[in-house]
Amino acid sequence: MQFWALIVDSFRESIDRKIFWVLVGVTALVALAMLSVGFHGDSVSLFFGMWSTETERFNPLMDYGRANLVGFVVYLLANTVMGWIGITLMIIATAGAFPAFMERGALDVVLAKPISRPRLFLYKYLATMVFVVLQGAFFFGLTFLIMGLRWGVWVPGYLFCIVLLVLLFSYLYCVSVLVAVKTRSSVAAILLTLLAWVAFALIHQAPVVFDEFPELKERRTLYTAVRVASWIPPKTGDFPYLAARWSRAGASIDAVPFFDTATASDLDREDLDRARKVEEREISKSQLYSIGSSLLFEIVIVLWAMWIFARKDY
Amino acid sequence: MVGITEMTNWAVDLIDVRKTYAKTIQALRGVNIQVGRGEIFGLLGPNGAGKTTLVKIMMTVVRPNNAFGTLLGRPLGHRGKLARIGYLPEAHRFPRYLTGERLLHYYAALAKVPRSRRKDTADDLLNRVGMAEWAGMRIDKYSKGMLQRLGIAQALMNDPELVVLDEPTDGLDPVGRRDVRELLLELKRDGRTVFLNSHLLSELEMVCDRVAILVDGLVARQGTLDELTEETVEYRITCATDAGTVKDKVKALGASVDANLLTLPGHDTARVNAAIDVLRGAGLVIESVQPHRFSLEDILVQVLKDQSTTGPPTPMARPVQ
Ligand SMILES: Nc1ncnc2c1ncn2[C@@H]1O[C@H](COP(=O)(O)OP(=O)(O)O)[C@@H](O)[C@H]1O
Ligand SMILES: [Mg+2]
Repeated sequence: MQFWALIVDSFRESIDRKIFWVLVGVTALVALAMLSVGFHGDSVSLFFGMWSTETERFNPLMDYGRANLVGFVVYLLANTVMGWIGITLMIIATAGAFPAFMERGALDVVLAKPISRPRLFLYKYLATMVFVVLQGAFFFGLTFLIMGLRWGVWVPGYLFCIVLLVLLFSYLYCVSVLVAVKTRSSVAAILLTLLAWVAFALIHQAPVVFDEFPELKERRTLYTAVRVASWIPPKTGDFPYLAARWSRAGASIDAVPFFDTATASDLDREDLDRARKVEEREISKSQLYSIGSSLLFEIVIVLWAMWIFARKDY
Repeated sequence: MVGITEMTNWAVDLIDVRKTYAKTIQALRGVNIQVGRGEIFGLLGPNGAGKTTLVKIMMTVVRPNNAFGTLLGRPLGHRGKLARIGYLPEAHRFPRYLTGERLLHYYAALAKVPRSRRKDTADDLLNRVGMAEWAGMRIDKYSKGMLQRLGIAQALMNDPELVVLDEPTDGLDPVGRRDVRELLLELKRDGRTVFLNSHLLSELEMVCDRVAILVDGLVARQGTLDELTEETVEYRITCATDAGTVKDKVKALGASVDANLLTLPGHDTARVNAAIDVLRGAGLVIESVQPHRFSLEDILVQVLKDQSTTGPPTPMARPVQ
């Protein structure tokens, strides 16, 4: 009952924020853009049929074309639109939740209710994610339907992106909440969370640098330290790979259309090789490791924030 | 020694409550307060005395450095009992995106009030505090007084045995303040215990059964209004003309004269009559003789004055019920 009350309250708080509707607008735009594109066998039409061309690349009737199409859409929507723009907007939108909750005079009434502080904190933490669950479900649900109804491509696994998005968001949101309970400032929460996101990506990429410079690998302790360090932070960069895997679109690099090894320049080939290596690394990791280690990080941060929250005077 | 059963007879029993903020600010320095069930209890004192801190400790909002005692027979900080306590914080800030009615439902749900009871209780309370008309309006459009009325309604949503109100008349106009006084008496009639904080002494003292005066983190006086004001009675005799001529004679009776006003401390009627004889003997016309009971405000001024000359008061012993 108390948890439900906090969820409903978070929902009301969410729809009261302009940014919630900005995100709804983004989803609507994406949906409209997708609706304007049609695939009919080997012909592609844009702008609701005003312009069309023939290509085999995205022919949804062929396995190869369908994999290409889904791979492209998943990469664009899950990675770029939601994974970057969406998550950034969500971080901004939710950063104010805890500072407002903890504002002087606001929390008094709630703390005086028959609910322990750790539980209250946890409920509120989870309730705030309602915002992301709603946005994610709306975005991926709608684009799922458009792919199916407009293009005839039904990808049930694509819906798992909702879960992946909420997970990705939660890895970052725990940092936002930790900063918020420490500083009670939403601006600080936004900035430090974005900074942490960049830091996670850098640490995550650090071992790749060693692949580039084999002589660095000679320094075993450094190499080991970097690799261990790269296990700790949440694997925010795994989102597009996991999304692609769940959408069964094949690996993203394999979906690079018509890469002709015979005519490609050495530079291009090197690029592709490097990209393949990175991707192999990503794919070789288990999902259990990616999600599990990230959740472990999140749990530690959440417990830390909870501890601060529970021991404060208000 | 006080037995267990005796202890649980108090609605509020606070023993040696201490709180130091930021290692240096001693907000409470060993407070003992007892409130009987069904009483209206007023915790009075100037700003910064520590009233809000004490209430926040009772409501588990602030963690004390030291505190013993019970609320409704359960140890301080007992979670379950909080469901039976209503609380109006000082300087509250309610979520602005809610309407008055939704706010009541939200807080009631957090207080574990069953859904089936919420609607009727909310409607009833909104009527009682005169907010029914604005129930569907967003809180960010409310005036300070409306917020305070809503806050009081919120504190009653869980049908509390004990109602804790921090500055309930804050932000209210005279009509609103009278409404609050009437509401307090209503709560008492329902058999609830009321614990209220106020720095505006004269405003609520008339409805309090017992009061404590908190000064500088310590209880300076505690008792029924009668007990506190008993020894602080004086008689005021007003003459038609200046009574300076009898100044010396009445001084022997312990009276003081200021122009045509003669003041006699205490409630010794024999001395009052003696003073009247002196005045009449001197041919003065007496216009009125009035017993004057000190208000709490007078007492507070006196406490503060005493304190500045003799230092802070010492912690008081617990009364036995
Ligand atoms: N959160 C806090 N941090 C530091 N000092 C505080 C805090 N809250 C109150 N105080 C100080 O404690 C003292 C008592 O304050 P308070 O309990 O609000 O008194 P009252 O309600 O009687 O006006 C004041 O000196 C106040 O400045
Ligand atoms: Mg106060």
